[in-house]
Amino acid sequence: MEMVVVAPPAPGTLEDLRRRFFATPLQALLSLVSLAIMVLLAWKLLNWAIFSAVFTASGGPEACQAAAGACWSVIAARWRIILFGLYPFEEQWRSALACVTVVVMTVLSCIPAFWTGRRIGLVWAAGAALYYVLMKGGVLGLPYVGEEAWGGLALTLFIFVTTCLIGFPLAICLALLRRSGLPWISRITGIIIDSVRSLPLISILFTFAIVLPFALPQWLVGDKLYRVILGSALFFSAYQAEIVRGGMQGVSNGQEEAAMALGMNYWQRIGRILLPQAMRNALPATINQFVISFKETSLVVIVGFFEILASGNAAYGTGEWRFAYVEVYAFIAFIYFVFVFSLSRYGAFLERRMSVGER
Amino acid sequence: MISLLRNQKVRNALLQVFYVGSLAALVLAGVVIARRNLAEQGITSGFDFLYKSTGWDVSFSLLPVTANDPYWWFFLIGIINTLFLGSIGLLLATVVGTVVGLARTSSNELARLLGRTYVDIFRNIPLILQAFFWYAIITHLPTPRAAHEAWGMLLTSRGLYLPAPNVGGVAMALAILPLFAAVALPVWLGRTSRLSRPVGERLVIQLAGIAAALACAVLILIVGRLPDAPLLDFPALQGLNLKGGLRIPPEFSALAVAIAIYGGSYIAEIVRGGFKAVGKGQVEAALSLGLSPWRVFTLVKLPLALRAMLPILANQYVWLIKATTMGIAVGFTDFFMIVALTINHSGQTLEAIGILMAGFLTINLSLAAVFNRINKAIALKGNQLRG
Amino acid sequence: MNSTQSPGAAVRIENLDKYYGTFHALRNVNLSVERGEKIVVCGPSGSGKSTMIRCINRLEQHNGGRITVLGTELNDDVGNIDGIRREVGMVFQHFNLFPHMTVLENCMIAPMIVRKRPRAEAEATARRYLEKVRIPEQATKFPGQLSGGQQQRVAIARALCMQPQIMLFDEPTSALDPEMIAEVLDVMVTLASEGMTMICVTHEMGFARRVADRVIFMDGGEIVEEAPPEEFFTSCRNERTRQFLSQVLGH
Repeated sequence: MEMVVVAPPAPGTLEDLRRRFFATPLQALLSLVSLAIMVLLAWKLLNWAIFSAVFTASGGPEACQAAAGACWSVIAARWRIILFGLYPFEEQWRSALACVTVVVMTVLSCIPAFWTGRRIGLVWAAGAALYYVLMKGGVLGLPYVGEEAWGGLALTLFIFVTTCLIGFPLAICLALLRRSGLPWISRITGIIIDSVRSLPLISILFTFAIVLPFALPQWLVGDKLYRVILGSALFFSAYQAEIVRGGMQGVSNGQEEAAMALGMNYWQRIGRILLPQAMRNALPATINQFVISFKETSLVVIVGFFEILASGNAAYGTGEWRFAYVEVYAFIAFIYFVFVFSLSRYGAFLERRMSVGER
Repeated sequence: MISLLRNQKVRNALLQVFYVGSLAALVLAGVVIARRNLAEQGITSGFDFLYKSTGWDVSFSLLPVTANDPYWWFFLIGIINTLFLGSIGLLLATVVGTVVGLARTSSNELARLLGRTYVDIFRNIPLILQAFFWYAIITHLPTPRAAHEAWGMLLTSRGLYLPAPNVGGVAMALAILPLFAAVALPVWLGRTSRLSRPVGERLVIQLAGIAAALACAVLILIVGRLPDAPLLDFPALQGLNLKGGLRIPPEFSALAVAIAIYGGSYIAEIVRGGFKAVGKGQVEAALSLGLSPWRVFTLVKLPLALRAMLPILANQYVWLIKATTMGIAVGFTDFFMIVALTINHSGQTLEAIGILMAGFLTINLSLAAVFNRINKAIALKGNQLRG
Repeated sequence: MNSTQSPGAAVRIENLDKYYGTFHALRNVNLSVERGEKIVVCGPSGSGKSTMIRCINRLEQHNGGRITVLGTELNDDVGNIDGIRREVGMVFQHFNLFPHMTVLENCMIAPMIVRKRPRAEAEATARRYLEKVRIPEQATKFPGQLSGGQQQRVAIARALCMQPQIMLFDEPTSALDPEMIAEVLDVMVTLASEGMTMICVTHEMGFARRVADRVIFMDGGEIVEEAPPEEFFTSCRNERTRQFLSQVLGH
């Protein structure tokens, strides 16, 4: 309800404040209560996290326990475990570089110039390959490090990237199968997608990690890490398939008819006409799905992986740092926050740009 | 042959047969291999194990349970635990979400900022991390000997202790009935006299109804209390431990708090979206009819926003119910944890996974059905008011 | 399909039947179109005229009868369907340009990926046809930046770039503002004068009078009347046709 008054007299600062925050008694109360909550929380938080906190590891745990505020020494002392898990100490630069690779890859994918199927595929395939070589080694003079030693942030990022890399094409396949004109194909695909969506992710991870080996012939069992990634990719693709299908429904029938009338075959119609438009329609929801799936990588801790959450538990769980759990969780939460928040801000930005722009 | 393959109908039929056939073969092969592998370990397939006793215990149960009880009883306990945690979590999350969502749509800039900060922080941190965090906080509380005390409640590392009524089970069940009636009253009022009574009057009737219901409930409790005991049983220290009262274990409270806070941040966004979807024109029309802001809110904004929210809210609820499976991370015996324990102890892998899938499908489908009914009942007739 | 020289009619429709569920959309339609002939199809909405021409390139599948295009029968053989679509161009009521490609790319894509022409050749062809529909200067714009009339001319150019032998027009001017109809019709008249085989579903009776060899009136899924334009407009035999004409020409 904004009213435009013709040439209002420029209000003074005080008058402006009064109008914005104290227009009615109820407004004034609301303002005061909100302000009180904010000031109180901000003060407590700042006091705990900065003013009364201990930052350096030099004093050891004893210096921390004496202080009233946060004990950031635990991070200074244990950050390598949190970020890299049990990866061999002198090789941890490789793990760090691998994390940087993933970040660079993600940033590149956010640039519109890379938004063609081929370029984005190339960036992700190259990024994943580089990551794999860096982490696993065994070539180019890098000592070999098996998957069982991967951990921390690097493992979290690896699971996320491979989940998307496998899940995304799978999602497109599922979406195409579900909208197929052949009744049996679309019906059965629909059942598969809906059942996967109705199950909790943990139960799927558990099934793939622990139950699947029973149902596979010996030569197919493979490493537990890759089975879990497969399960997580399946879950991702069931959700993403519905997003892609929604994007396809936003493309008018006329588009496919025009392509047919020009003599294009099925794959040409899908690849050149339908998918480019559908993916553009589905972009905001897709980024949202990436955000959710990044948060959900943290669930692999339950089937026994040493990702960032588990390595955090280990960082404070042993001996002298036992009391510093809040700091460790705050640190991990901060890492997640940086990734997830920037990605979701980017998604919101895209959504706004697209709703204003072209169409 | 070649001309046959070029025939569209033949092609379509072959494609379908191939797709369905290969999927069926995959599943069949998996089941056959799994049964052989399990048989080698001496596990006979079938559902007979449901009647054997488990030999292990659960940490949280609303029903009486011992290690001698059979598996089917444990599954039931798991489902009830999941539903219990889920409904408490949903309730709390909805309350949190509504408050924060309203703050985010408020005309007050400070309240908006506060709501936005809340959403930005708690939406962007994984739920399981929040569950771990609250679990760590609670288990690091003082021991029962040095417990925090407030209004008869005790906060300790072994859980939250509440005063509990000393009442028989029947009276307890009976006392819940008037509370249901109090909830049903506004619904019934809304149905019978949508606009015929002024809002204020309806509010008074509702408040009176709730007060009456509460009085009824207390009366039933007093009448039905156990002989020779005070009405309320306060927890108290006995030796090293606390006795009496109602204990809410840390696993449960950590999960409920995490779900409430995380789910609340999502529901807040849904609430905000719902109010944003209410057309400006309708609000302006209501204001121009001379309705007060409060009545514009209750008569126009709220009903329209609710309709816009409901389908999205249903999805969010399904998601939150599924999130209770995080219980296994802190050791809360929800349905999924019971299944996992069953697989560990009995080895009846395929059967347990089947039960898990059936359970969640049933829960989700019934939730979806309920929401569809509500949705249909309140949907705007025709399409004149959309957009 | 190598039918440049194949004998007989361009399109031959015999006893065509088409159902949507239980709705009988086309009843026993018979039509033969010679090479170079221009046919205008008109009729009230729901009369089956669009359905009929959409059957010719199999955007709709017919349930009974035979359709033969350029000597090839349109049946379940996938090769025949692809071949026929390559030789039959179509222009839609709502243009259906590809919004994610520039005008030039819209015109180049099909020749490149369906006819496997090299890029340079496809671009030269595209520019030639854009010149012909009088919008060469819009080549690098996106469809969304053009007016309706311009978009429809691009759509015609796009179809022509495949160098089809037959062109189908499905109410090409119905979605246009009045002032843009003329620019599209002008292009179609030019095309007709160059000897293209054309089947047009349209209510533009002036256009029918100028270029049509035959005018066909459909109602209720049947061909009710079929005559050269002068005869059609002056002395039609059927009551329904007269009624329709008085509505279309009446004001």
